[in-house]
Amino acid sequence: MESMDIDPENHLQRKQSLYNSMDEKFEIQKEMYRGQQYSQIYFARLHMMRTLLYSLVPNWKPHLPVCTVLGLEEGKECIIVGTLYKQMKLKPSILDEYSKERSATPLVKPHNFMHPDDHLVLEDESGRVKLGGTMITPSVFVTGVVVALHGKETSAGYFLVQDVLDAGLPPQTELPLISGEDKYVVFVSGLSIGSSTCNPLQFQLLVDHITGHLGDEEEQGIAAKIVHVVIAGNSVEIPHGLLNGQNLASKDQSRLSEPIKELDILLTQVAAGLPLDIMPGPNDPANFALPQQPLNRCLFPGSSAYNTFRSCSNPHSFELDNISFLGTSGQNIDDLEKYSEAKDKLAFMERTLRWRHLAPTAPNTLGCYPFTDRDPFLIESCPHVYFAGNQEKYETRLLKGSEGQLVRLICIPKFCETGVAVVVSSCIFSACSKFLGLRTVLVNLKMKTPPTELQNRDLAHVYMHAHMCVYVYMCVCPYSS
Amino acid sequence: MASSGSVKGFFRQRKNITKPKPKSSSSSSKKSPHHPATFGADVAQPAALISHGSPDLKDGYDEHEDVLRQFDMNMAYGPCLGMSRLARWERAHSLGLDPPKDVEGLLRSGKVRLDCLWDGRV
Repeated sequence: MESMDIDPENHLQRKQSLYNSMDEKFEIQKEMYRGQQYSQIYFARLHMMRTLLYSLVPNWKPHLPVCTVLGLEEGKECIIVGTLYKQMKLKPSILDEYSKERSATPLVKPHNFMHPDDHLVLEDESGRVKLGGTMITPSVFVTGVVVALHGKETSAGYFLVQDVLDAGLPPQTELPLISGEDKYVVFVSGLSIGSSTCNPLQFQLLVDHITGHLGDEEEQGIAAKIVHVVIAGNSVEIPHGLLNGQNLASKDQSRLSEPIKELDILLTQVAAGLPLDIMPGPNDPANFALPQQPLNRCLFPGSSAYNTFRSCSNPHSFELDNISFLGTSGQNIDDLEKYSEAKDKLAFMERTLRWRHLAPTAPNTLGCYPFTDRDPFLIESCPHVYFAGNQEKYETRLLKGSEGQLVRLICIPKFCETGVAVVVSSCIFSACSKFLGLRTVLVNLKMKTPPTELQNRDLAHVYMHAHMCVYVYMCVCPYSS
Repeated sequence: MASSGSVKGFFRQRKNITKPKPKSSSSSSKKSPHHPATFGADVAQPAALISHGSPDLKDGYDEHEDVLRQFDMNMAYGPCLGMSRLARWERAHSLGLDPPKDVEGLLRSGKVRLDCLWDGRV
């Protein structure tokens, strides 16, 4: 039997990355609430976006005059810029409770509040005007988006839209050329520890894989390339029956804190090995309104002892080796799904980038802090990787902008339901500068047969670990395709 | 058992207001209506609050406040409610809207109302 001494020459070193957090604009510690309403944040949003759109209009339609809503003249073709408001019949309104007649809202709340009668209105400080015509479809837009419209006012009093301009993808800093090997970033969301459907062994298996406790040298070599882990929201699920406002019995009080304690134990294992970012989600013990503030470090007594543990805000923006990442725990995309329609979730994500706003429905239907001097959800520079957590399934696409921007859009599925974590790799082939490889590797930890909807998959390895099979798929989606 | 103190002390005392004497010797043609129901009370025409011998009608409103109210009402700088005037001026400045400098001077001098016109009223 060979000796079990640790051979220092064969020690696998984990790779490291330079981390830079860009979350300052999402902090609200310095904000003081002085009784303001949401008109202030809408003004800040309209002003910043309008200044930007005014600079883009001369390249779009230079021969047309730009005017305000109040300056519209009947029949005169012009360009107006303002915030869109979508009048929706089925949108739940607090006033419906007080109306005596039966409103259009059905008793059972629909998943999506769209209706064929929805129409759009454009609003700026001077006034508002109803929008008509076939060039602008209400199903695509939501309240809170700032656009420029080309058209003319009709005799009926509405504005007939002939063309729409949105801000487009923001400018992007060039992807740095990194020589050397791949580095991986693991994204996982929807752990839902504490829920009745969550299998704790699945997350333990993922942690074991990340920390290099699984497999032989080759698998450990793959794990050594993981430089960062991001947990995008909904890490715990507190039993709802306990949160009804009643005083808790002493045995229930411990049930309240058990999920967090379990999460802390698992996160300590991760934080001991590599940097970890944890973001709050809709079900986590953080504030409700966006931007959600970082989870308190007191909740994680074990993991917060490590300086690799970072509690982050939602939305979360950071840089790793000068590759910029931006993403949320999914509330912004889920809210867009309720009030508009698109082919898939990635289309919603693409729209938020083209509108240059992370959460346009905030504060209309998505809770938001009433900022007075700024709108922190405006996207000023285009990220390289844009992610949304807690989605139904894993989806990814490479988005190309008109000025050469390249963004990898990723939908991170709920881990408790799918057992899927997403690994993003950065691989720059210095030989060919066009092939800036940003591949995603899918790690599937389910015990069932491998999913068949994935294309281009390569069965790389199979582990046997305590009667559970782990299939690792390499989904090669090179940056240039 | 009710106290035997005077009933007069139970009711709120009325302030003794001295009415300003008309300067002209000629009697004014207008006289406040003398209804029997009001019994000499001047409910329709409450007397002005006298301070330092002349009616105090200004209520903190001078030409500085007027300039600031014009700044509050100017839509170009956004809504005024819910923000202090100085915060709104600073926001307008950082957004590049070029708000008037004399407003900043007035606000930093500290002798004027720092809250907007509608603060506390809406």
